[in-house]
Amino acid sequence: MLSVDHLSLSIAGNLILDDVSFSLPGGQTLCVAGESGSGKSSLLKALNGLMPARFEQLVFNPKTGFAVTHAGHWQGRPGLKGSRWVMQDPIAALNPKLTLGASIAESIFSKNLSEANLENAVSTVLSDVDLPSEMTTRKPSEVSLGQAQRACLARALIASPDLVFFDEPLSALDAIVQKQIAKTMKQIQERYGITFVIVTHDLGFAAAFADQMLVLRDGKVEAYQVANSFFAEPASRYCRDLIEAARDLGSLPQAPLSSGRPAEVYS
Amino acid sequence: MTVAEKLVLPEEPSLEKKMRERDFNRFLLNLGIGLLVLGTLVAAGFSFTPYAPNAADFLNRLSPPSAEHWFGTDQLGRDVATRILYGGVWSIGLAFLITSIGAVVGTIVGLAAGHFGRAADTTLMRVTDSFFAFPELIAAVTIAGVLGPSTTNMVMALILVGWMRFARLVRGLSVDLAHRDFVTQARLNGLPSWLILSRHILPNVGPSLLVLWTNSWSRTILSISGLSFLGFGVQPPNAEWGAMLLDGKAYMQTAPHLMIFPGLAILVTVLSINLTGDRLRDLIGGEALSD
Amino acid sequence: MTDHWGRLKQIFASSGRRLVGLLAVLFGVSLITFTMTFFAPGDKAAAIAHARYPDANGFPPEILEGIREEFSLNEPFFVQFFEWLMRFVQGDFGNSFASNTPVWDVFLANITETLTLTATSLTIGLIAAFCLSAISVWRPGSLADRCAVALASIGAAMPNYWLGLLLILLFAAHLGWLPAYGTGTPAHIVLPALTLSFWITASQTRLMRAFFLEAKSAPYVETLRLRGVSEAEIFWRHILRHAAIPALTMIGLDVAALLEGTIIVELTFARGGIGSLLAGAVLSRDYPLILFLVMFFALVYVFINTLIEILQDFLDPRTSLFAFKDADIRKGARS
Repeated sequence: MLSVDHLSLSIAGNLILDDVSFSLPGGQTLCVAGESGSGKSSLLKALNGLMPARFEQLVFNPKTGFAVTHAGHWQGRPGLKGSRWVMQDPIAALNPKLTLGASIAESIFSKNLSEANLENAVSTVLSDVDLPSEMTTRKPSEVSLGQAQRACLARALIASPDLVFFDEPLSALDAIVQKQIAKTMKQIQERYGITFVIVTHDLGFAAAFADQMLVLRDGKVEAYQVANSFFAEPASRYCRDLIEAARDLGSLPQAPLSSGRPAEVYS
Repeated sequence: MTVAEKLVLPEEPSLEKKMRERDFNRFLLNLGIGLLVLGTLVAAGFSFTPYAPNAADFLNRLSPPSAEHWFGTDQLGRDVATRILYGGVWSIGLAFLITSIGAVVGTIVGLAAGHFGRAADTTLMRVTDSFFAFPELIAAVTIAGVLGPSTTNMVMALILVGWMRFARLVRGLSVDLAHRDFVTQARLNGLPSWLILSRHILPNVGPSLLVLWTNSWSRTILSISGLSFLGFGVQPPNAEWGAMLLDGKAYMQTAPHLMIFPGLAILVTVLSINLTGDRLRDLIGGEALSD
Repeated sequence: MTDHWGRLKQIFASSGRRLVGLLAVLFGVSLITFTMTFFAPGDKAAAIAHARYPDANGFPPEILEGIREEFSLNEPFFVQFFEWLMRFVQGDFGNSFASNTPVWDVFLANITETLTLTATSLTIGLIAAFCLSAISVWRPGSLADRCAVALASIGAAMPNYWLGLLLILLFAAHLGWLPAYGTGTPAHIVLPALTLSFWITASQTRLMRAFFLEAKSAPYVETLRLRGVSEAEIFWRHILRHAAIPALTMIGLDVAALLEGTIIVELTFARGGIGSLLAGAVLSRDYPLILFLVMFFALVYVFINTLIEILQDFLDPRTSLFAFKDADIRKGARS
């Protein structure tokens, strides 16, 4: 599980995140939604120690017991142990000078695997993310955006993480590729039982994935609800407006479904 | 003229013009590379010149260009063409050495400043700024002069004042790179500093570094010959181009060829390196390189 | 959306930070300068004695020891350094060994020559560069443009002392129109100024041309064009107004090169001036003069650059100011 208590973050006197708390059971998905500038991405950076946030407590529990506990500021190297992060722009997230294979293998650098084991591991995750194996020798400039994002997915997956952060994982892609990659993400989660934290502004996508919804507005928690009840009875006027807007745009179906996931567009 | 015409007309270069532009650029690149190759070949011609660079021939003093002596002879009857070939080794070779050392030192300082936190950054960049405050030639004149004019002292002086551009460039680029997503990913994935530097930062700094290195190389050639011309660099009887110009200055009226050819050699060399460097920059995209 | 007052406060804050950095750099500069002369080989006491008694041959040790006492030459490095620095800051630059007159007086006697040459060349060079680049960007790719680019490339590769020699060869030795060496009449400045301004023209044409070309395709210029504003009006009324910032940057970049160029030209044409003074001081190991002149050059460079950076802050709200804010966030993120 991932549990965050009273996280706040201020930079140069501006409060970016104010008292954010949530608690996510293992294997489930939390979708963080909100307008741009609401602090969604800063939340991921804060959780990974890339921004000087304050926590009362940050608990990340992979399988048994508490693995990491932090109080106060982050200390030491950034990154939550046992977690990986998939970023928004796959081309920017891959070193242009390295082949995809090298970038993927780098993710488990600390395991010190032998050449053969490494190749094995890489080809396993490549098939998990539906990438042909010849992609390992390509540079990021030689592949499509979708393939690059799959490579980023593979880079996260190869470390057998318990938790994967996604920062707008689909918004750089076009609609068909979005759908395919969302499907792959779903398969991966079901196969390995990984906990997902997904930052997105696309409520349709959130609806397909989320077990819990966290809506941020100007750095404050606007709503924190179980997904089903969020889409059925949003906690505030603002959330209702967000949902209405998504419905008007057609990314969410018009009426909330009575049972199960409200929208199955991505599966 | 109608509005529609006006919309299309202004300064939109035609395809033909663009093609010409591109051909012209390619021509310049080829010219630069061609001149460099030519220079190398000519330098290889060493073994074929019948004269030694310092062999005096008092019967043939100050003779104008002729079939035997293509660029004439100087006040001691030495063959100017041969001396220019040998001089190239001093000018081009020393500049190559000095620039390369400067590039290595500057890169290390720049990487350290860009990577090891604010305290290291501030300190190293203040030191770099302090060295930057000395115009290259002034520092070199002072150091070379105070230590005594000699080739070694000139080289030391030029190394001492030549690394800061590299430090600034590398520092700027690596600070920028440090905030790119792929470096953040590497940090999150627990890569140690030396791997981040060697796998992620350095390869992406490389192209710009190469452009600056070319640029510095030609600047250093100018500095070496300038210092030698002023008497602070390569000393006679060594055949450095600037030193040859200094020698020839006294015979300006009677033997102008002593002044024409060494200067031309500098001009052509520096021009060809610059042309190559410029095209290299266009090819790479010339990111973040301030001259 | 910062208000005016807030912006001004930020500018002052960044200027203040720059001044602190400036002080650190000035300290570094003086340390490097002093180190350069401190570790120079040779007995400084003997050099001083030579300067005082030019006719004497060899000196008794008592005299040398007396001189060492007088100039604190026996003290450790840092004592000597701080003594020198304190005196320097108070404006006491010591006496020149060679002439035994105050360094400041020697400097004043020579600075006008240098300033005249630099100012003349800068004026000619900048005007020529402006005209060339304006013609050049009028029709990019035209013959005139090619010529301007070629001239700029050649100018950057041309050793300026060689150009000076060629000019002497043509106008003084061959045609006999102009005096070659020395100073005195206004005619003496023509060839040196031509030499130096050729180089300035070359380097400035390159930079100005690049700026004008970029400005010509900037979005706001495209908008003007769509509105039907003529090319001439765009250039004279809109692009030129924004030329102040890059022009400043260029001058900042070239201060060091300009100082260097001045020295070489002064020596080539055997003119008086700071450059000749430095070369002479270096050759005669006139340490007080060397220290002062090197410090002078470094200070000129540092001050002009700092001034230009601060001016840029005031002139351009986008680049410096926002870069500064962005940098702060980054620093926050790194710690």
